[in-house]
Amino acid sequence: MSQTQDAQIPVTVLTGYLGAGKTTLLNRILSENHGRKFAVVINEFGELGVDNDLVVDADEEVFEMNNGCICCTVRGDLIRIISGLMKRKGRFDGIIVETTGLADPAPVAQTFFVDEDVKRATKLDAIVTVVDAKHLPARLKDSSEAQEQIAFADIIVLNKMDLVSADEAAEVERLIKQINPYAEIRRATKSDVPLDSVIGRDAFNLARILEKEPDFLSGEDHHEHDSEVNSVSFEVAKPIDAEKFNAWISQLLQTKGQDLLRTKGILYYAGDSRRFAFQAVHMIADGDYIGEVKEGDPRKSKIVFIGRDLNRPQLRRGFEACQVEG
Amino acid sequence: MADVAESDFLLATRGRAEELGAWVVGAVFDARNALAFALADGTLHLAGTTGDWKPVTAHDGAILSASADMQEGWLTGGDDGKLMRTAPDGATTTLADYKGKWVDHVAAHESGLRAAAVGKALHLLGPGGPLKTLAHPSSVGGIAFDTKGKRIAASHYNGASLWFVGAKEDKPRSLEWKGSHHAIAFSPDGTHVVTAMQEPSLHGWRLTDGQHMRMSGYPGKTRSLSFTARGRWLATSGAESIVLWPFFGGGPMGKAPTELAGGDAVFCTAVACHPQHEVVAAGFGDGLVLIAEIGSGKVVPVAPPSGSPVSALSWSPNGALLAFGTEAGRAGIIDLARRP
Ligand SMILES: [Zn+2]
Repeated sequence: MSQTQDAQIPVTVLTGYLGAGKTTLLNRILSENHGRKFAVVINEFGELGVDNDLVVDADEEVFEMNNGCICCTVRGDLIRIISGLMKRKGRFDGIIVETTGLADPAPVAQTFFVDEDVKRATKLDAIVTVVDAKHLPARLKDSSEAQEQIAFADIIVLNKMDLVSADEAAEVERLIKQINPYAEIRRATKSDVPLDSVIGRDAFNLARILEKEPDFLSGEDHHEHDSEVNSVSFEVAKPIDAEKFNAWISQLLQTKGQDLLRTKGILYYAGDSRRFAFQAVHMIADGDYIGEVKEGDPRKSKIVFIGRDLNRPQLRRGFEACQVEG
Repeated sequence: MADVAESDFLLATRGRAEELGAWVVGAVFDARNALAFALADGTLHLAGTTGDWKPVTAHDGAILSASADMQEGWLTGGDDGKLMRTAPDGATTTLADYKGKWVDHVAAHESGLRAAAVGKALHLLGPGGPLKTLAHPSSVGGIAFDTKGKRIAASHYNGASLWFVGAKEDKPRSLEWKGSHHAIAFSPDGTHVVTAMQEPSLHGWRLTDGQHMRMSGYPGKTRSLSFTARGRWLATSGAESIVLWPFFGGGPMGKAPTELAGGDAVFCTAVACHPQHEVVAAGFGDGLVLIAEIGSGKVVPVAPPSGSPVSALSWSPNGALLAFGTEAGRAGIIDLARRP
């Protein structure tokens, strides 16, 4: 059933608090002339009307999977909607999914890993989070959803920049990077970012995220964290033993998965000329080979965790122990 | 089936196929054995073994679901929010307009009932118009009338609801099981309800005593469920073979399913049991269609692989005709009564 693989429709997920400018960005994407047509899945409590031929109202039905775990959830309505939209392939070039302000992005992301119909028909292009530069610091203090929306973002539109001073802007970027150093930050005033910086980015493509060196802040290790969500990353030089890695990561996700929001890795397995891309949202993991390594290229394996309560030394030792011996 | 010559498929000698250019959502025979293909471009194609097929535009958008209407003609639900009836002559009537909300599932019963699932609501209509609306805790994943048209079952998150259509006070019997349920079927004698779940497994309820039945082991999601005429077997898609669960001799609990026509490493995507005999038709992910006799396991090739998954499959009520459609828009009809 691989004949439809090549026709996967890109999906952009738009998250962000009410009033941050999410709907403004959505309407810009829909109204500007870029020659692309989108199907839009909007939540029923949307701020403004959305003007588009193909708008679908969603109920945000979050379903637990029947393993009984609270973090293993999918968006049931999205599975239904995407299956419906796919029957009319050719009518649009991409899908945009808007979530409600308080939504946890995990169920949306997990839907793209879990459901076979959704996986066959679509690919997650990017999670774009729109935040209000003025109010984000306060939100991060009082809301786990705000932290999660930053943690899950591939691209962050730092909006309403006209309302903050240069110092405030630097501080809010620092807070964002502390949670998620891999997200690309785009400053904006009225969600006025170039549209090709948020659409068609292929940002969920692992190879691309991890090739980019994260924008870690100097002295990050010693800094006192302002929010409970943060990230760690490790690199090892020796090839990875696939069996050891699988045993370690499945045990880790099983026991710590509720706190691990996103895990991403690029792995060089012993005796394999290809790179393996691994990613997980909470406990739900996915992986694929992403092409040959060029002769002479460094073969450093790397893993990144974004989550709560990350035990840095323990994670480091665990990953290092996955290297082949000798 | 890779080694079967094109001429050995029944389609070559007893049928015809056309390229209709859009995802075939339903291949639906009405009670009088007239066939229509319902397509995701909003059209119905009234089709037969001879003569030109007649296209009818029923929806401004995609058809999401299709069924036979009460005595004749077809019922369709669309992403334009409409419940439409198309008569055998191709005349269309708007039965209901749910204002842009998707009409995900439709069903009808010859006794004079129509049903349309729109999000969490299940609307029941009679020949004269709306009768009642039944509310569910989450979006409806599938609907089915029982054979007599006395009850309708609707699947949803954490189970299914069973409603008496004629009840004065609408209070469903809740069939509970954790998880998300979609495709749903009633056994022909009305004693069992079975659903397909998000996690690849089936769940069943024996209505007499509420006994739960778990049927698992599928590598893929089951989309299609079909009981044999007398309810002895439940045929299902979602594996690399046709998976049949025995509903006799104490089954399906504690019994292994029978698997037919497996071996090509392609998933079965649609099943349809013959209206009289213990024969099942199956469509696969590569477009292959075949018929299998359950007792003997004998397989007869019907249509060769066309490269696109079979998305619709059904028998005419008289059991003489079989129709199929694919995601890519190939639609076929085979006359099994006619001597080639
Ligand atoms: Zn979990």
